Amino acid sequence: MYVIMVYDINEERVNKVLKVGRKYLTWVQNSVLEGEITEAKFEKLKIEIKEIINPEEDSVIFYIFRTTKYTEREILGIEKNKKDNMFL
Amino acid sequence: MSENIYIFSNGELKRKQNTIYFEVKDGNHKYLPVENIREIHLFGEVILNKDALEFLSQKEIILHFYNYYGYYVGSFYPREHYNSGYILLKQVEHYLDFEKRRYLALKFVEGAISNIITVLSYYRRKGINLESLDKINALYQNLFYQNTIEEIMAIEGKVREIYYSEFNKIIENKEFIMDKRSKKPPENQINALISFGNSLLYSYILSEIYKTHLDPRIGYLHATNFRRFTLNLDIAEIFKPIIVDRVIFYITNKNMLSSRDFEEKLNGIYLKESGRKIFISKIEEKLRTTVFYKKLGKNVSYRRLIRMELYKLEKHLIGDEKYYPLISEW
Repeated sequence: MYVIMVYDINEERVNKVLKVGRKYLTWVQNSVLEGEITEAKFEKLKIEIKEIINPEEDSVIFYIFRTTKYTEREILGIEKNKKDNMFL
Repeated sequence: MSENIYIFSNGELKRKQNTIYFEVKDGNHKYLPVENIREIHLFGEVILNKDALEFLSQKEIILHFYNYYGYYVGSFYPREHYNSGYILLKQVEHYLDFEKRRYLALKFVEGAISNIITVLSYYRRKGINLESLDKINALYQNLFYQNTIEEIMAIEGKVREIYYSEFNKIIENKEFIMDKRSKKPPENQINALISFGNSLLYSYILSEIYKTHLDPRIGYLHATNFRRFTLNLDIAEIFKPIIVDRVIFYITNKNMLSSRDFEEKLNGIYLKESGRKIFISKIEEKLRTTVFYKKLGKNVSYRRLIRMELYKLEKHLIGDEKYYPLISEW
């Protein structure tokens, strides 16, 4: 499945969330990561994030797509990170 | 859905913040999601340290290295994680017992030739005159009377020779002409494509072998020696026609490549970076394509088919179920 992760985290913990997110997904822009992920890996990601955040103050949203077939991606302004990440 | 990463740029690959980090020479950098990487193919000049290798090993990610000309150099094959002495013994037993070895070698070639016939029959149905199909069929019948491994290999060699001579009829784009199979160096563009495609396939299969208990050093059709992995070469025979060759026909007939994507070096013809990228993305697409697999009653990808072929071999070795090669029905 395809996941877009968006977060709003207190400054003290924001870097930790970014570090965890980067292990599973590709960074797109500040506080946004996205990528293809298996269900099991997604569960792992959620567990790791739950351990870091403070549920009273922080918020993480996942947009989950079964496939990206019916979605389109449009960018205005600069593309901070090229999406095609198979070739480097 | 793990992914493969292909690195063409020059730079440094490191472990950083518990993930993989690639720093390009010009200052660009990128974090790669380590949990989502299956293998990394290195074409550029990449610097690595032990720390990075240790991390990759822990995450069971295989590195495949290629030289400047796109030839496979070797792999960083992390410590075996499915270490099975039992399977290893069985593999050796099937190698040393001549009848058992002959059976497997024969089956690999049987799969290879059957799949060549499948590919050619498809183009015959499309109206291309491929009279050599009968010759291949005759050789195929003969295969079962061969006694030694050398004889089995000779039949395979003859079939391949006839098969390659038909490439000119299948490839419509007259820019690409196949005279005969030439390796080291490939003498024309089609040979360059075949060589590059086969070396990619060898490394994909090696990566799949890594996820099973099998040891890639012991092959049956290709004699085990001091130099290289051979089991992946054996399995590749079955998949070359249905994966590599089909991708070659596809990209040449759709005019996705032109002579601009090749260059002449060391008296041979090689794919340039632009050509390699096109070829790799199409072969990746092919591996992800799913086909209906009757025995399981569901759709499986070509990559999965490779893994299942290895499981079938494991079952054969431990005496569970006799091995029959994958014969493409689509």
